[in-house]
Amino acid sequence: MHVHRRRFLVRSLAALGGAGLSGAFGSLRAFAAATSQQAFPPGDFKALVCIFLNGGNDSFNTIVPYSAQAYADYRSSRTVLMANGGLAFDQATLQANALVPRAPVAGLPGGPPSDGANYGMHPAMAGLRGLFNDGRAAIVGNVGTLLHPTSQAAYQAGTVAVPPQLFSHSDQTTTWQTSRPDDANANGWGGRIADLLHAANSGAIPMCISLSNNNLFQRGDTQDSYSIDPSGVEKLSYLGEGPESWVIGPNAAGIAAWQALVAEGAQAHLFERAFADSSRKAVDNYEVVDAALSGAPTLATSFPDTPLGRQLRMAAQLVQVRGALGMARQVFFASVGNYDTHSYQIDDQQANLAQLSGAITAFQAAMDELGTADRVTTFTASDFGRTLGVNGDGTDHGWGGHHLVVGGAVRGARFYGAMPSLRANGNPDDTGYGQVIPTTAVDQYAATLARWFGVDTAGIATILPNLGRFASADLGFMS
Amino acid sequence: MAMRIDPCRAARALAAIVFMLTGAVASAQPQSARPDPLLAHGFERADAGPATDAAAARFLAQATFGPTLEDIAHLRAVGYAAWIDEQLALPASTQVPYLDWVTTLPSQPDGNNHVTDATRLEIWAINALGTPDPSRGNVRPRDALRQRVAFALSEIFVVSNKNGTLAYQPWALASWYDMLATNAFGSYRTLLEDVTLHPAMGIYLSHIQNQKADPTRNIRPDENYAREVMQLFSVGLVQLAADGTPVLAGGQPVPTYDQATVRGFAAVFTGWNWNNTGCGPGSYTCCTVQTYTNCGPYDYNVPAWKLPMQPIEPFHDTTSSKQLLAYPGSTLPGGVLAAGGNARAELAAALDNLSQHPNVGPFIARRLIQRLVTSNPSPAYIGRVAAVFANDGQGTRGNLGAVVRAVLLDAEARFGQWNDTARFGKLREPLVRTTHLWRAMNAASTGGRIDTINPYPPIEDWYGQGPLRSPSVFNFFRPDFRRHGEIAAAGLYSPEFQILSDTMAVGTPNRLFSLAFCWHSDGESCWTNGRGATLYLDTARDATLAASDPDALLARYDLLFLSGQMSPFMRATLRTRLVAITGANRGRQRVQHALYLILNSPEYAIQK
Repeated sequence: MHVHRRRFLVRSLAALGGAGLSGAFGSLRAFAAATSQQAFPPGDFKALVCIFLNGGNDSFNTIVPYSAQAYADYRSSRTVLMANGGLAFDQATLQANALVPRAPVAGLPGGPPSDGANYGMHPAMAGLRGLFNDGRAAIVGNVGTLLHPTSQAAYQAGTVAVPPQLFSHSDQTTTWQTSRPDDANANGWGGRIADLLHAANSGAIPMCISLSNNNLFQRGDTQDSYSIDPSGVEKLSYLGEGPESWVIGPNAAGIAAWQALVAEGAQAHLFERAFADSSRKAVDNYEVVDAALSGAPTLATSFPDTPLGRQLRMAAQLVQVRGALGMARQVFFASVGNYDTHSYQIDDQQANLAQLSGAITAFQAAMDELGTADRVTTFTASDFGRTLGVNGDGTDHGWGGHHLVVGGAVRGARFYGAMPSLRANGNPDDTGYGQVIPTTAVDQYAATLARWFGVDTAGIATILPNLGRFASADLGFMS
Repeated sequence: MAMRIDPCRAARALAAIVFMLTGAVASAQPQSARPDPLLAHGFERADAGPATDAAAARFLAQATFGPTLEDIAHLRAVGYAAWIDEQLALPASTQVPYLDWVTTLPSQPDGNNHVTDATRLEIWAINALGTPDPSRGNVRPRDALRQRVAFALSEIFVVSNKNGTLAYQPWALASWYDMLATNAFGSYRTLLEDVTLHPAMGIYLSHIQNQKADPTRNIRPDENYAREVMQLFSVGLVQLAADGTPVLAGGQPVPTYDQATVRGFAAVFTGWNWNNTGCGPGSYTCCTVQTYTNCGPYDYNVPAWKLPMQPIEPFHDTTSSKQLLAYPGSTLPGGVLAAGGNARAELAAALDNLSQHPNVGPFIARRLIQRLVTSNPSPAYIGRVAAVFANDGQGTRGNLGAVVRAVLLDAEARFGQWNDTARFGKLREPLVRTTHLWRAMNAASTGGRIDTINPYPPIEDWYGQGPLRSPSVFNFFRPDFRRHGEIAAAGLYSPEFQILSDTMAVGTPNRLFSLAFCWHSDGESCWTNGRGATLYLDTARDATLAASDPDALLARYDLLFLSGQMSPFMRATLRTRLVAITGANRGRQRVQHALYLILNSPEYAIQK
């Protein structure tokens, strides 16, 4: 059982009787952030929340057809029912967890699934299914990394270029997060959005905030990201307000020495400068965030005590204090692992998707509480989809997969893009080996979110230079 | 070994004299710039020496979990070559016997004889630090090089307790680590086979109970291990020249393998299951054709968790020919393994196919150099080490002991800090900073066990890493990570920076704060433990010196922690801090503040 750090800090602070020692840094920056609250109209706020499912989610066992032909196709791939130790849902379970799509609106994308089938959602995801059926979540079918639109024939003949190192975790995670399969050195599309929009924020901390340590998605060409422990701000003990600062007492001379050692420009070696930069920025940023969070009332919404639940609770708290942080735009990154279900898929996916659904559902409730539900959009991403075929008790690395977009600004209760066949043999939509060829590019998925977020057409073209190769620059799932 | 003469050295030495005479810092020069030592190096062979204590300390920072005064003296006495010979000859200090020993202890205090993954970290620390091992009559582990290389190997051949099954299998993980330590100076081919057949890997990358294709059920062999053994443990994604640079075609890297190759290896790795030693009534279900997916151990300290997997032939694919790696010199025509072999024969052929691929030498060389010496080795350095991988001089390929020697005694390892002063080296890993502190300060616990490696929350929450606790098979950090900003702009790699997030930039210093200020030879300042398992720094060793002569203290720590590379600026900054500490306990307190500030300083953090 993982017990998180905040509790440890609270306990240790209590142990020292709440000794109030003045911080070494940040008072000026915290002051600047606090006074910038009026610098932008409160209505002009938007946030994107990327939830990365590490390992490659088996979306073909997450959103599953139950109408006759499509279900028969599914069962030709997933031949053994769960009751018999296999991976396949029975039809009744799927029907009992049915997704109820809304009719299309004339002239706009989105509606019932493209294949005309009925779909259910994994029974562990009751909360997300409710959000879908309420019109606050949408499904984008068969998204994946692409260089150009391609087909089975083109793939098998090798006539259309595809992203390098398909089916490799590290490479496909990179490509999903950069959407630049043609540029191995590209930064992330979340970070590149921040490059364009950073002037929207007046505060001191980066637009991109990670709840899950360093990631490529939030790395910009010019803009940095900030990572925060989901359990809360921890300060450096040596600087006076950390967990064990009391043991050394007043330490002004020590603080001065530390500051001198990490001061900008004091290091001769390139890596030393980078280390000093990390040290300074961590402190500067935590002072600003701590000042903002400590003034905020507690959220009434309770979150599941899971890794993702804790991450999204912190994201909600940072949405709550966006004014104090001087932020009109926020890009969050959360991630959870154990999606690489080569084995034990039934148990692991059940736990994974329950965690995902519970955390997102709580997050939406918190956004309702804060009145920001229409202003915050959450979306999933993952290394790749998984194979239609099985290897016994799991599945292998695939390519395209379905994804979820959640929020009040989402044109929900609709499917977007094309739903692929799940047939084992003679499947027109796979590589020939059960790996489904994406029909919607990550570029299109990203562009749709970026447009809603406020990036203009010219900006989108710079972030996603390959977008023009695909049929639509806007999938229409955002209002 | 070519001798390296730097034509600029004389000019720089002259500049250094001017610098020292004037004491001036040019306005354009960063404060931490340090004068070059004069005539200290470079005219001797790389493998001669060490000529100074500082050179010895620097070598030990690369080759061990941190220098000690004792080790520096010994290395000075015997020299690099003899020291490496000694180390290669020492058998591995292992972990499994310690876990066995803990089960024999009294049950009080509560949990005293429980074995968990935390117990495994105790013996990891004992072996890394060389503190007396209570499970072995308080023998002190002396295989410092082997332990350091085993840790490096554990970051290349990754299994982890973050796996839902392995989290509760300390014997499996201890046995895995012992396997790495035992093979650290042996044959790469043997290592690869032991890696492939260890049940911890079988669980982690799911090739245990992998089975041949069954078209009627749309079942295909599990591709997990097949893919990662190529991508991460042997050849990598793209074809490499002998010096590790990618082979290009039309300006693009050339893939080493494709999906057909993954399928080929996946089919090879079918039919493997738990070792049946000790199975049976009253124990656990033996693995047979009938029980293939329903067998294996329940208890965590039974032999099956430690012994190589065994084949159940009817589940092995004997009917398909398998596309393996195709490369010039491959003994398999077109890289194709003809159908019909049994599980063991096909495994041997496939591992031969992998280990003889020309990529393996530069692939492994670069990773070992990055772990021990520098993040950005020159292609020439990689090439020299890869050449030793290809032939150790006695005609043997894959002699890892010879490879380690080549990594450490290369001219670039020994003199690189002078030739590329602003870029050579690497960010020290948080765990290695910690062992360095403990070793340099003769840390010991009163009872021999070590709780201090198991803080609350777990060590990886403070550091972004813990032994065999990687979040994925891709390790805590990747060889090609580039930190944002100046490092990326310079086109350099900086693997360890991947775990230096804002969160860890606070967590790691705060853990080091605890170690420096809470537990020392004057007693416990923060928390009491009561089990005699807290590591105390031997602050008393240096306290008298610190109280009377802070400059001498800094000279000692410059040697122990910075290999004599501390800049005059840093020394002056620390001195100002230390002399401000007065009072009866000033000796110990000066030691503590010096340790904290050094351990968290940019100059120390980068091993050069």
